[in-house]
Amino acid sequence: MLANFRKTLARLFTFEEPKTKERFILKETEEEMAEGGQKEQDKKVEPRKKKNEGLQLNKKSGENEENKGPKPDISKALSENMERIKDIYSIPTNGDAVLREFDLVVKNKVIPAFMVFFDGMTDRKVINDDILQPLMLLSNLDIKSDEKSIADYIRSHILPHNQLKEFKAIEQVVQGVNFGGCGIFIDGVDSAFVADVKGWEHRAVERPNTEQTIRGPQEGFTELLRANTALIRKILNDEDLIAESLTIGRRSRTPCSMMYIKDITNDSLVKEVRRRLKSIKVDYLFDSGELEQLIEDSSFLPVPQIMVTERPDKAASMLAEGKVVVVMHGSPFALCMPVTNNELLHSPEDSYVRFPYANLLRFVRIMGVFLSLLLPGLYVAITNYHQEMIPTSLLFAIEASRERVPFPSVVEILIMEISFELIREAGIRIPGPIGPTLGIIGALILGQAAVAANIVSPILIIIVAVTGIGSFAIPNFALALGFRVLRYAYILLGAIAGFLGITTGLFLQGIWFVSEKSFGVPYMAPFASKTAGGIADQFARPPFWKQEKRADYMNVKDARKQPHISRGWKSQEGEDQKEEDDDAGK
Amino acid sequence: MQESKIVFGKWETAALLINALNVQVFLNFPRTMAERGGTAGWILAAYISVLAFLLFLLISRLYSRFEGKDLLDLGEYIGGSAGRIIVGIIILIHITFIISIILREFAEDMKVISLPASPISFVILFFLSGMIAGAYAGIEAIVRFHAFIVPIILAGYLIIIGGVAPYYNISNIMPILGNGAYAIFGSGFFRISSFSGLIALFLLFPFIKTGKNFKSAGSLAIGISSGVLITSALTFLLVFPYPSAIEGFLPIFQLARLINYGRFFQRVESIFVMIWAIAALLYLSMGFFLIVYVFSKTFRLEYYRPLIIPMAIIVFAISLWPKNLMSAIAMETVYFRSAAWAVTFGMTLLLLLVAGAMKKRNHRKEGDRK
Repeated sequence: MLANFRKTLARLFTFEEPKTKERFILKETEEEMAEGGQKEQDKKVEPRKKKNEGLQLNKKSGENEENKGPKPDISKALSENMERIKDIYSIPTNGDAVLREFDLVVKNKVIPAFMVFFDGMTDRKVINDDILQPLMLLSNLDIKSDEKSIADYIRSHILPHNQLKEFKAIEQVVQGVNFGGCGIFIDGVDSAFVADVKGWEHRAVERPNTEQTIRGPQEGFTELLRANTALIRKILNDEDLIAESLTIGRRSRTPCSMMYIKDITNDSLVKEVRRRLKSIKVDYLFDSGELEQLIEDSSFLPVPQIMVTERPDKAASMLAEGKVVVVMHGSPFALCMPVTNNELLHSPEDSYVRFPYANLLRFVRIMGVFLSLLLPGLYVAITNYHQEMIPTSLLFAIEASRERVPFPSVVEILIMEISFELIREAGIRIPGPIGPTLGIIGALILGQAAVAANIVSPILIIIVAVTGIGSFAIPNFALALGFRVLRYAYILLGAIAGFLGITTGLFLQGIWFVSEKSFGVPYMAPFASKTAGGIADQFARPPFWKQEKRADYMNVKDARKQPHISRGWKSQEGEDQKEEDDDAGK
Repeated sequence: MQESKIVFGKWETAALLINALNVQVFLNFPRTMAERGGTAGWILAAYISVLAFLLFLLISRLYSRFEGKDLLDLGEYIGGSAGRIIVGIIILIHITFIISIILREFAEDMKVISLPASPISFVILFFLSGMIAGAYAGIEAIVRFHAFIVPIILAGYLIIIGGVAPYYNISNIMPILGNGAYAIFGSGFFRISSFSGLIALFLLFPFIKTGKNFKSAGSLAIGISSGVLITSALTFLLVFPYPSAIEGFLPIFQLARLINYGRFFQRVESIFVMIWAIAALLYLSMGFFLIVYVFSKTFRLEYYRPLIIPMAIIVFAISLWPKNLMSAIAMETVYFRSAAWAVTFGMTLLLLLVAGAMKKRNHRKEGDRK
C-alpha cells in the first residue's frame, strides 16, 4: 500500500519515458494508393480463389489443423490410451463422461476399441446408429478393399459419419470431445477419430429481444456458433464470405468464428482482428461481452467501440460494408468491428423503410441523444445561471412549481435521476409476474407522491421522463448506457458553472472522442476526421439506389456497392418510351 | 517528435485557421474596427483582409522553396541551433502572451455574462482544463475537432447576423469613409495584426506536407475569415449607431441580445454563450498546443507532454496579470494587436527572404564548384 503510494508520488514529480506504442491505423489498400482514388471503374479484384478456402467446415482445414497441432502422443496400445483418457476425464468420478468399450472386426480380425463422449452434449441416436452400429456390426461385412492400414479402412468403409477427423494427439481428441464430439480409439492404431455428434440442448432461433424492428427479418442469433454463422451465410450467399475458426480461452477453448468478405474487407483490418483475438490469454470466456472488453481499443471510453448485434441481417450488412464480424459459441450476440459513433445511431430499419421516414427516424434518434445526454444538465444550468433565457411566462410557471420544493434544483434532479435508474435496474432484475407492480410503484413514487410531498417539482418529472425516453430512443443499448453515465457529469458541470460548464464538458468529451479509434478507424468519422460522402451517405440516409459506395474510412478493397445506375429499368424506361414514340411516329 | 507522422487535410487545416482568425469577432474586433475606422470600420476590415491575402500569397510563393518546413526549421537553416532558438523564443513569447491575454478576456467576458458571482480564477480554470486536455490529446485531435465544430460555429454566427436583420439601418454606416481615408488605408495598415493567427499555419507546415495544401488551406481560411470579419464589422455598424458602437462591450453578444422573434424566441444569447465558449476552447487549446510544441521543438525535446502542466501554470499566472478586463483589452489592442503583425508577417517574410537568398547562394556555390 505504502509502496504504491510512493510510486504514485514519484510518478507525479518525475518524468517517465513513455513506451513507444505503434497504434493500428486502418490505411488505404495498396490498390487505392496506387490508383490514387480513381479506382472504382476498373478496379482489379483479387482473383477468386478456390471456393470455401479457409473454411473450417472444409475437410482440408481439419487436416491442416492436424498437421500443425501438438506433438503426436497417441499410443498404439489401447490400454495405454484408455488409462490416459480415464485420467484426463476422471472416469468414473466424472458422471457425465462415458467410456464405452467394444470390439470391431476388420478382415476377420477382432480388434478391441473404445469410445469416449459426454452424455447430454452428444446425440445418442447418431452415436448408436452412425458410430456404434457400423463399427460393431458392419465391420463383419466382407468388403473388398486392399487398404493396408486399419485406420484408412475404417474411415473409408466402416464409419459413414459425415464429419470425421483423425488426430494424432490426445489433446486434440480431448478438445473435440469437450465440444460435443465422440472420440474413438482403436487398438493398434496410433491415431484416434473424432466424430462430430453434437446434440446438446439449445434455444431455437427466435425474434431478437433487444433490437426489434417493424420491417425486416425477425430472426435472432442463438447460442450455437454454427447456427449463427449459417444464419449469416444464408443471408449473404457469397462464397467469398470467410469464416475463420479460432479458439479462445486457455481452459474453455471456446470456438469463435471470425467472418469477413475476402474481396471487400481490408486485409490489414482482418490481420489486426486476428492478431488481437489470438493474443488473448484467459481461462474461460462466457459471453461475447467479455470478448468485446478484451479486444476493444479503449476500456475507459464510456461508449462502445464494437457494435454488438443479435440480428443476423445487421451482421450481414456490416460484413457487406467491409467490416469483420466475430461470432462466439455460447453467445447470441455477434461483435462487428470497427464501428464509428455515427454508425451506432443507425438501426437496421433505416435500410428497410423508405428514405424519407429513415431520415426522420435518424433525426429523432439524434434528438434522443441530445436529450438523454444534456437535458437534465441544461435544466440545472438554466434554472441556476441563465434564468433570463426562459420566456417570462414559462419562468413564472417553473418558479410557481418550484416554490414549495425545499431542495436546490441539482439535488432535486439527482434524487429523481437516481430513483429513475433504480426503477430501471429493478425492472430488469424483477421476476416477470411482479413486473407490472413495479411499474405502478414507480409511477406512483415518481409521479404523484413525489410532487404531492413537495420533494420535486412537476416540471422536473417531465424533464426526467423526456430524458428517459430520449435514452430509450438510442438504438444501441451500450451507447445509451454510456450516455447515461455521462449525463451525471453534465448535471454536475451545469450546477457548477452553467452553460460554461456544459460547454467545457462537451469540449472535453469531443476531444476525447475524436482522439479515439476503433480498430484503426477514427471514432468520430466521417465528421472528424472528415471523409468523402460523410454527411450525404453516412449521417443522412440517401435513397437506396443512391447508396453507391461503401464508407470511405473503411478503406475497403471494393469501394463501390452498386453501379452509378442501379435501377436498370429507369434508363430502359426512357429507351422504351422513345421506341414507342418512334413506332407511333411511323 | 512523436507527432511527425500526422498529416492534415485541406479542410482540417482551413478549419483550424478559420477559428484562429475569427475568434476575435466574439471578443472586440467589430468595436476595434469601429474605433479605428468610424462608420467605415467594415471598409477597414475589408482593406486588411485584402492586405493579408496579398501578403499570404507572397509568403506562400516564397515558401514554395521550403515545402514542409516551419518557421523554426527556417531559423535553423539560417542560423543553426542559435537561429532556431532565437526564432523559437520570439514565437513562444508572442503566443504565450496572446493566449494568456485572450484566456483572461474570455474568462472575464464569461464572468460578466453568466457567472457574475464566481471568482475569475475559477472561470479561467474551466478554459484551462480544456486547453490541457486538448494539448494532451495532441494536434490530431484538436484539428479533427475543429473540422467538426467550426461549421457549427459558423452556422451559429450566421444565425446571429441574420437574426438581427430587422435592425439594419443603412444610415448608420454613413459617412461612408468614416474617420477618413488615412485612418483606414494609412494607419489602418497595422490592424493587419488581426490576421496574426496565420502564424499557426507557418508553424504547422510539417503536418500539412504539400505546398499545394498550404496555399489552398490558407487561401480558403483567409477567404472565409475575411467574410466573417467584414460582415461582423458591417452588421455591428449597421445595427448600432457609431457613438454607441464604440461604447459597446462584447459586440456580437450585444447583437445576439437583440434577436427577438415572437413571445417565445427571445434572449437566445445564452445559447450563443455555448458557441462562443466552444470557439474559445478550440482556439485556446490550439494556441496552448503550439506553445508546448514550439517549446519542445526549439529545445529539441523529444516529448512535449511533460511540458503541459508547467506551461499551463505559466499561462494561468500571466492571464492573472491584468488588473481587470479593461486592462486586459488594453494589453491586447494597444500593445499586441498593433505589433503582432511584425512577428506573423514581418519575421516570416524576413526569414523566408534570408533563407531564400542563402539557398540561392549555396546553389550558386555548388554550381561554381562543379
